[in-house]
Amino acid sequence: MDSSTITLLLNLVYHVLVLSLVALGLGIVFGMLGVMNMAQGEFLTLGAYAMVVAQRMQIAAGWGILLAILVTATLGYLIERWLVRPLQTRPLDTLLATWGLSLLVRKGIEAVFGRQYQNITQQIGGSTQIFSVDYPSYRLALMLAIVCGLLMLGLWYKHSTAGTRLKASVANPVLAQAIGIDVKRQACMAFVCGVACTGLAGALLAPLVRVEPLMGMDYLLGSFFVLVVGGLGSLSGLFAGAGIIGSTQVLVSTMLDQTYGYLAVLTLSIGFLWLRPHGLLSNR
Amino acid sequence: MAYFQTAKQAASLLTLALCLVAVPFVTNDFRAYQLGTYLLYGVVAQGVALVWGRLGFLPLGQALFFGLGAYVAGLLFIHAQDNALLYLLLPLSILVPALLAYLVARLVFAGQYVSGPDFSLITLAFTMLGAQLANQFTGLTGGFNGLANIPQLGDLDRYSSMYFLIVALVLFSTALLSWLYQTPLGTLWLAISQNENRLQFFGFATDKLKAGAFALSAALAGSAGFLYAAQQGLVTPQAIGFQLSAELVIWTAVGGRFGPYGALLGAVGIGLLSSDLREIWVHWEVLVALLFIAVVLYFPGGMAHLLLNAYQFINRRSGTHVPAYAVAPKTPGLRAPPIQSCGGDCGPVHLRFDNVSVQRNEVSILNGLSLAVEHAGVYCLIGPNGAGKTSSFNVLTGRLARTSGDIFLDSQRVTGHRADVMARAGVGRKFQIPSVFNGLSVTDNLRIALWSNRAQARQLLESTSRQWRTDMLDFLENTFTFLADQADKPAGELSQGQRQMLELSMTLLAEPRLLLLDEPCAGLSTAETQQQIEVIVQAVSRLGSTALVIEHDMAAVQRLSNEVFVLHQGQLLANGTLKQMQDSPLVQTVYAGGQK
Amino acid sequence: MSLPAQPNHKTGLVVQHISGGYGDTLVLRGVSFTLGQGQVLGIVGRNGVGKTSLLRLITGHLPVAGGTVSWQGRRMGKAPAYVNRDLGISYAPQEAVVFDALTVSENLNLRQRNLDACQAFFYSFPLVRQRRNQKSGVLSGGEKKLVSFVRVMAEGADLTVMDEPTEGVQQENIALMAAHVRQRCEQGASFIIAEQNLTFLLSVMHQVLVLDNGETVFQSDAFDREGLEQFLRI
Repeated sequence: MDSSTITLLLNLVYHVLVLSLVALGLGIVFGMLGVMNMAQGEFLTLGAYAMVVAQRMQIAAGWGILLAILVTATLGYLIERWLVRPLQTRPLDTLLATWGLSLLVRKGIEAVFGRQYQNITQQIGGSTQIFSVDYPSYRLALMLAIVCGLLMLGLWYKHSTAGTRLKASVANPVLAQAIGIDVKRQACMAFVCGVACTGLAGALLAPLVRVEPLMGMDYLLGSFFVLVVGGLGSLSGLFAGAGIIGSTQVLVSTMLDQTYGYLAVLTLSIGFLWLRPHGLLSNR
Repeated sequence: MAYFQTAKQAASLLTLALCLVAVPFVTNDFRAYQLGTYLLYGVVAQGVALVWGRLGFLPLGQALFFGLGAYVAGLLFIHAQDNALLYLLLPLSILVPALLAYLVARLVFAGQYVSGPDFSLITLAFTMLGAQLANQFTGLTGGFNGLANIPQLGDLDRYSSMYFLIVALVLFSTALLSWLYQTPLGTLWLAISQNENRLQFFGFATDKLKAGAFALSAALAGSAGFLYAAQQGLVTPQAIGFQLSAELVIWTAVGGRFGPYGALLGAVGIGLLSSDLREIWVHWEVLVALLFIAVVLYFPGGMAHLLLNAYQFINRRSGTHVPAYAVAPKTPGLRAPPIQSCGGDCGPVHLRFDNVSVQRNEVSILNGLSLAVEHAGVYCLIGPNGAGKTSSFNVLTGRLARTSGDIFLDSQRVTGHRADVMARAGVGRKFQIPSVFNGLSVTDNLRIALWSNRAQARQLLESTSRQWRTDMLDFLENTFTFLADQADKPAGELSQGQRQMLELSMTLLAEPRLLLLDEPCAGLSTAETQQQIEVIVQAVSRLGSTALVIEHDMAAVQRLSNEVFVLHQGQLLANGTLKQMQDSPLVQTVYAGGQK
Repeated sequence: MSLPAQPNHKTGLVVQHISGGYGDTLVLRGVSFTLGQGQVLGIVGRNGVGKTSLLRLITGHLPVAGGTVSWQGRRMGKAPAYVNRDLGISYAPQEAVVFDALTVSENLNLRQRNLDACQAFFYSFPLVRQRRNQKSGVLSGGEKKLVSFVRVMAEGADLTVMDEPTEGVQQENIALMAAHVRQRCEQGASFIIAEQNLTFLLSVMHQVLVLDNGETVFQSDAFDREGLEQFLRI
């Protein structure tokens, strides 16, 4: 295999993994809990800007990541209590309210940081030799971290009591309550975790992508496409969706160009909505 | 009645026209030019108000159609300077957005009964794609800097006389939308936003209605884009992208999404204000975002609604809950045209379930259900919980997919047909929990039922269709007097029992050949139950239809029908007269819970 | 059967004139009863009469529109449903009786510390033990009901509320279920059981409440099979 093919494959794997990480948050919030959070992308933005703050304050990147998680979790909790829960039975209003929120967050970030692109330095610089090509080390580290993280998450969800209780609460809230599980609290914690995941993704991706107030939109849409194709409510659906969307985007972008990649992904999603609205592996 | 509506509309339109026309004379040409741009945005916002405020689904990418119209028109204007024939292609700037909108909406709505977030996100994706394409294909679109040097439209100077053409478009779109809102089609649009599922059971293909409205909104946006290109002389990717799309939603929300005037108010009011204040005060946009959230949560009608309330308060008129878009005085009425589905002369319906099974996740909801109905009359479906009674209705009307087996209506295989298709074939359904259009008046609810399977497209645009009456309506109003006494009350304010009676009336008014009634007496008092049963028996006999009634109350079953189907564990256990069922040890065992 | 302890407001369930429903319809009106320690109340009636609604009202899954429910001296109805377990009330609903996506043992020890409490039941119902690592979704309706029964009995609550526990269950197992219920009664536990299977009820209950059309039509601690069968006839 020549080096350009290896690089392409690495890019593909990278892309699919990043997409999985980013879509995980929406997968929890929308796929599992059924809340259409139009501000999900803004949580990613907040995570990225937390790194900007850390950099400006000249503290270690680790603190930046912590800040990202803290800020997004707190905001997520406030939203869950004051926006999502009261509007539980009115999905269109939830969509509208969260869309308004996303607007507010974007404008707020613009007001504080301005519209220009921010630059975050990579904590792990340089490149590493892998499969006889040079590939950026930060990306490799990130890919490894994502694989480990998702594996642990999968194992936790499958085998831990907390994971089982969450699964139970979502699948059959009446029975869960009968057993004594506080379903509302489970939903709240899941929501907070969902947005904090996206915040973490933002912090980790900040050195690699364009950091600006509008960055969240693309990630919201990407996550949405992943869920449309993969199906709602399961980790395997998330991977399937990320795999298909990610591969399509990378392959078409490489063969033609980025805009065609985007067009291909959009066409694929519309096709699924038309012909297979529940996605490939739906659990709901 | 239509006269009053038209007079009120004409007055509003005239006021708008005078105000707009006066602007260049009262201020100056430059202000008029500025206003002109925001008036064009206002027309696009009116399209957003149509789709969102009226039909209940949210387009997050409306600028795509505006920008598309602007780019197409701009290109044509530029190249028509060399080849005048290209002027003939100008309607494309309206048709291309409209067709794209229709296609996307049809595809997205095909797989779902009701609108979800999918549509909003797809429109968002499209606007992002549009901006990307505009930025990329520099040769065609001028890229990031835009399509420049677009000539004026004919002799219309863009800084002076162009304004009046824009005003003409605004008046046209406002008039068109105001008119459409008060036609029967406008009522159907509102019904979609309130209870789309229910409307399908009246035979209306709501996905086509939604797509059509979306196409209309795109056409309006395209026409605004067309004039925009001529007025500005320059079209940049800003005109097609996310920012403008987001602002359009904000303007529509804050101005007022329930009518065309509100949308205009929002675009002009907030839009113009923003363009001035945005540079001066960096926090202006944050304030607008907060304003949007406040409007969404507390003032859904926006500024227009607040102003209207203030106006009514000043004039000491009592506000009504239902906007005055369709209030008919009591006229003698017209005889309604006949039902479409069968030409009125088809004989009793033949229904056959052939070994129908429905499996979901290892659970058998229906397990080889076979039953047949050949003669007109009322039949009752009884059986313990989970027997599959409501599921049999669901599988017949396209709400539950079958795993195996078939259903035949009049010897035609109807397995898997959608709810609206079945309704058009003459199948009417009444739900266990009464499902009506809560925000519409009782009269409008009844009208929708009257239009079901009767009104042709043209008639949905004529206000005379509101005056239709049928013998069945006379009969129902005599029995359920509240239908006439509380005709203007929003259906949501009726008691549960009254809503049951209303829903039954609506189902009967559509004169279905096969009536599916799911616990029609649930929640009714003893006296009301008796009345309800009488109505069912008499109506079915008048119509010569067949009714399948799911009931638990054995006294009601006794009065309603002579033939009973007993369902158990997804199958037909037994059928016969009620007496035979009462004497059957098999049936009694199932009910008394002995050996199963 | 020996005479059970008299109901006493500190240890029993006192229900007075409760009503409730969905939207503005009342599906249950004015039902009252008292239940003491070691007693079983059977709720009888055809489907659609309000049995499930009554049980939902008692366990807090349906808001009480009128009347009161008092358990062990405290008024119920204010707190969300999930607190009831800690107050000593267990509930086995009529539908969706297990978590389909979880295995049988996960279903059984979701809030149990250990499986010891289930041992006695594994002995009586070997199939539950055999299938303990299978996903509950693949079990038959009757098997799911059995798992639900084991779960709710193992919780060892002072008051156990069961909605049609024998539906779809095999005859031999029903008799064993009745034996377990009687055993728990002797230890002082109370039960409310809504059932259509009169054989089962007659072998466990101390008082009966018959519902029709959302109201009580018969209520007594003296009853016989034929009398009750009349109420179930169509």
